[in-house]
Amino acid sequence: MMVGKGIEDIDISMPRDAYDIGKDTPTFRAYLTIIVRDSEGKVVKVHRQRSHSPTANFIGLMLPLTYFNVTGNSYTIKTTGGSTYNYKPAINVNTPCISYPNSANNYPSYIVMIQVGSGQQSNPYTAYSLAAPIANGTGPGQLVYGRPSVPPNITVSGSKAYFTISQSFNNNSGGTVTITEVGIVTQIAFGASYSTGAAFSGNVLVWYDVLSSPISVPNGGSVTIYYTFTVNP
Amino acid sequence: MVTPDLVSEEDIAKLIIPDDLPDEQPTFKAYVEAKVYDKEGHLIQYHRQPMRSLTQYFLALMAIPIIGTYQGASINQAPGILTNVLGLPSSEGTCYSTNISWDWAIQLGSGTQNFSLTLTGLAAPILNGTGTGELAYGSLSVSYVGSTILISLQVSNTTSSAISVTEIGLTGTIYIQYCNGGISKYNFLFSYDTFSTAISVPALGMAIFQITLSFTG
Repeated sequence: MMVGKGIEDIDISMPRDAYDIGKDTPTFRAYLTIIVRDSEGKVVKVHRQRSHSPTANFIGLMLPLTYFNVTGNSYTIKTTGGSTYNYKPAINVNTPCISYPNSANNYPSYIVMIQVGSGQQSNPYTAYSLAAPIANGTGPGQLVYGRPSVPPNITVSGSKAYFTISQSFNNNSGGTVTITEVGIVTQIAFGASYSTGAAFSGNVLVWYDVLSSPISVPNGGSVTIYYTFTVNP
Repeated sequence: MVTPDLVSEEDIAKLIIPDDLPDEQPTFKAYVEAKVYDKEGHLIQYHRQPMRSLTQYFLALMAIPIIGTYQGASINQAPGILTNVLGLPSSEGTCYSTNISWDWAIQLGSGTQNFSLTLTGLAAPILNGTGTGELAYGSLSVSYVGSTILISLQVSNTTSSAISVTEIGLTGTIYIQYCNGGISKYNFLFSYDTFSTAISVPALGMAIFQITLSFTG
């Protein structure tokens, strides 16, 4: 649309569909599916909710080289233990970037786990660890962590595509264990391509959700958590 | 929801297939924006529309911070999503150290095409230049505010005719750097959108195109 010279308030010409009215067709969504089984393997609860919260770590790891090249800034990546690394990738053999498989396998980057917890925090974006992680074990309040499962491919269905990562947990604690928060923890290692050592390596929380309702896992039972990421849902 | 009779893997598969959950806020919002200025620098057009179409390559790129670049702590191979979707190498067998990084760009075009998850380019890319039908691409700007990433490109029309922009894509290159200084490059189209109304950049005018990716909860 043409507007005259000197128009300063460009809002007057903004198309109606540009306003956020909560009815846009999103191009990306993430979902949490949680299935709880009792001690006999019978499904006793299915929980589904939108997943809302990539963390600041995720945003920093997604940023393209241009951001770092043009601004000269680095991005602070914070591990679950609270240590930090100023991430500033570049096309340069002496500059650390995210590690990639090679002959030495000296500093791998890989998904460590879907972590569950019994706490919650109000600002998921700034979260770098779960508020109250549930430990891996058989003691009171603990769950036995399985291994995360990652599909070998993206599933395509019409114009949408998605992948799902999952992990199961067994409750051998002797009592009910309640889950209120979930996150994805990935080991991220940064290394220069002309170096055999990692400049930095640590467990990083990249995704975090507080559950819309608590999930109780009965003694002797299990729970499987599915994170589904999709485009054009 | 309690469904004690739900036991089969098929039932579970149906549950994790993405479909809408009503009354919940979206996770991700994306916009395509254009501001057009005439040769005197006056704003003459402003256009903003929701982004509709991410390709499977964007999803695979997003997977890297989530699943990492290795299959496991002691599995010296890249995950299948990286090799099968992005076509990246499973492992660099001759180098003692290798790393990965990526960059983005905005590509404009004057054509249209149907969306596909595997699109690799625009229908009719507008070349960077000063010839007929070309736009002079300025430098790209990337910034972020919280969980929103903004990518902006300024273009100038140095020709004597207006140039119509009908399509826009977020493109990108993934770099694998090797210990010997070698670099492998992999190019992708991460998003593709056609404008609901064409953007006309007048002769000697300029325009700023912006893609906003907001991972808001």
